Amino acid sequence: MNKNNTAESIPNPSRRRFLARSGAAAVCAGALSAGLLSATAWAAKAVGEQASATLLRMARDIYPHDTLEDKYYSQVLTPLAKKAEQDAALQTLLKEGVAELDKRSHQRFGKPYLEVAVESDRVQILRAIEDGAFFQRLKGDLMMGIYNNPELWPRFGYGGSAWQHGGYINRGYDQIDWV
Amino acid sequence: MTTKFDLNDDSLVVIIGSGAGGGTLANELAQKGIRSVVLEAGKRFTLDDIENDEWKMFGKISWLDKRYVEGPARLAKDFPNLPAWIVKGVGGATMHWAGVAMRFQQHEFKMKSTNGVVPGANVLDWPITLQELEPYYLKAEKKMGVCGTEATGMPFHGKSSHYKVIAEGARRIGAKCEQATLAINTEIRDGRPACQVNGFCMQGCKIGAKWSTMYTEIPKAEATGNMELRPQSMVLRIEHDDKGRVTGVLYADRDGNQQLQKARVVAVAGNSIESPRMLLNSASSMFPDGLANSSGQVGQNYMTHVTGGVYAEFDKPVHMYKSTVVPGVVKQWQDNDPERGHYAGYELEILHLGLPFMSAFLNPGSSGWGRELAESLENYDKMAGFWICGEDMPVESNNISLHPTEKDQYGLPVPVVYKTDHINDTRMRNHAYDRSTELFESLGARKVNYLPPYPASHNMGTNRMSEKPRDGVVNKWGQSHDIKNLFVSDGSQFTTSGTENPTLTIVALAIRQADYIAEQMKRRQI
Ligand SMILES: Cc1cc2nc3c(=O)[nH]c(=O)nc-3n(C[C@H](O)[C@H](O)[C@H](O)COP(=O)(O)OP(=O)(O)OC[C@H]3O[C@@H](n4cnc5c(N)ncnc54)[C@H](O)[C@@H]3O)c2cc1C
Ligand code: SF4
Repeated sequence: MNKNNTAESIPNPSRRRFLARSGAAAVCAGALSAGLLSATAWAAKAVGEQASATLLRMARDIYPHDTLEDKYYSQVLTPLAKKAEQDAALQTLLKEGVAELDKRSHQRFGKPYLEVAVESDRVQILRAIEDGAFFQRLKGDLMMGIYNNPELWPRFGYGGSAWQHGGYINRGYDQIDWV
Repeated sequence: MTTKFDLNDDSLVVIIGSGAGGGTLANELAQKGIRSVVLEAGKRFTLDDIENDEWKMFGKISWLDKRYVEGPARLAKDFPNLPAWIVKGVGGATMHWAGVAMRFQQHEFKMKSTNGVVPGANVLDWPITLQELEPYYLKAEKKMGVCGTEATGMPFHGKSSHYKVIAEGARRIGAKCEQATLAINTEIRDGRPACQVNGFCMQGCKIGAKWSTMYTEIPKAEATGNMELRPQSMVLRIEHDDKGRVTGVLYADRDGNQQLQKARVVAVAGNSIESPRMLLNSASSMFPDGLANSSGQVGQNYMTHVTGGVYAEFDKPVHMYKSTVVPGVVKQWQDNDPERGHYAGYELEILHLGLPFMSAFLNPGSSGWGRELAESLENYDKMAGFWICGEDMPVESNNISLHPTEKDQYGLPVPVVYKTDHINDTRMRNHAYDRSTELFESLGARKVNYLPPYPASHNMGTNRMSEKPRDGVVNKWGQSHDIKNLFVSDGSQFTTSGTENPTLTIVALAIRQADYIAEQMKRRQI
């Protein structure tokens, strides 16, 4: 896969449908290009602006949903950064992780991670560090923050808790129109 | 209701574990007037504790004490400390289970006679037959309320959208697909309501429509006054006298204090990792290799079923989560037909995961991220899929052993679980992946995802039944070959795994074992 990072350039029909359902088409493209820094004030205090922007970029590369607004990724990164203010080991993990990422980007592409324009190039760098604690920490927090976030479940077409609605026995469990 | 027995009362049956095996045995004995204490490591939960939330329930009720997974299988890398997904709580894994209740097939009690020696596997015939177990299967189906069976006369659940999609695919490729016989009420029965299709059976049934010993066998046993349940009581070791008879059970109570409960009979039902671990931890100068272990088979032949997931993405919505977790089963390849290139059979169990678990299991481990995964998850509502459940080969080196140095919070050596595929398992799984793909492609699937085995929900075989004492740990009653008043009452008794989900067979065996224990006690044999 060699896709770059704007939603418009992606022809895949599945993502278009996802886009339509989420109604977030307008937000995504801008958020992914120039708007990065503004969305990352959250972590600037703990790890610095460049690092926090890098973390956001990385977060979006780990679970790239082009239609999801930055805030959903920030919602994961903010508590992490807050925790890092108190937790020296975590702060080191994040700072050194970003530094390592940039070092590898420089070696391979001659620029910091944030400036590597093509997603597949950034993915190459991430694949090389995916077994490490820094990457796994981010991935683990993101998995919970994105896919275990009830606010996002409707966007993925998942129903969440059902018992309080009486389940699906009278809410279409047997409905399907294409088989 | 709140019966209390004395620690020095040596007339009691002490049952370790309150899940499918232990909970059933306790109630069966209680109904016959036989008094027991049930020691359960976990807490007692109520229906109020149950939520329709995958991770919350995982965190709340799973057995998360330190364990190691070893071996070349991918599970060891992806989940190095979670060999099994089972429960620490009153009710055991019957809280989490999906309710699929099927009888073993005739040949599955006779795998050695059926296929001869399978190189690299430690296959053995069960010392019992389907015919011997049939009356107990009937009782188990009645007790648990299995729908779609003659035993209950309860109808099947309505056909969910998930079921309909798969059934159509099965029809197109000429494969047999049936609605699942589930121990889940479709009518008000036994004081429990009918299923309302919440779709979270594997998080514990919020309304109690699904059978679980937590709110059936355990309270029924307590109501007789013949059973005392002690939750948060972790068994440390089983004691014996100089004649080699077990005499009591040492456990840590909820405050961490050690207590010794005396016993006339001890029944071990801690599921297939903890049960052999307890026997190994009870080693003494008389039994240096652990209790009941003259055969050396305690902890060996660990089986989990050949598993894996297959999830297809379609163009249109399926909404698989709007269903009982397992609405149906494709049974085309459940027989033993070596012409397929593997021994024994498998079933394709239609099964949904919620989005949170799908994100964790679609491509588990450190490399499960990136655009391909994200795109698949964007198609969550258009997915349909299976959990593969096939017979796995007993292999001696697949086993539970004790860590040489590391101890858990109770001071017990941490269990180490070694499990890897026999070549037959790999062939079977590949066959299942291929047939599933055909089925999905017949429906125009856009993409088919192959999921590696998750942490084991079915755990079997580590204290197996055998005709001859040298081949296994217990006889056909689940009674130790070596120690007459020591029984194994859970899935660790299984000689071979069969193709079917284990719980109905565990319950049938426990009902049968209760009859035997009662009779042996009456005749003062134990
Ligand atoms: C998600 C999931 C889905 C499943 N779906 C199905 C299905 O559809 N059909 C099916 O047939 N099976 C299913 N199973 C499997 C089924 O739940 C188990 O096979 C069955 O519950 C095992 O019974 P058991 O008596 O061996 O152990 P359990 O039911 O696990 O009970 C063991 C109990 O012993 C306790 N214990 C362990 N060690 C100690 C100790 N040292 N001291 C005190 N107590 C101890 C544990 O806390 C536990 O409560 C499923 C399991 C899971 C996890
Ligand atoms: S689908 Fe039925 S059995 Fe499963 S949790 Fe819901 S109500 Fe309970």
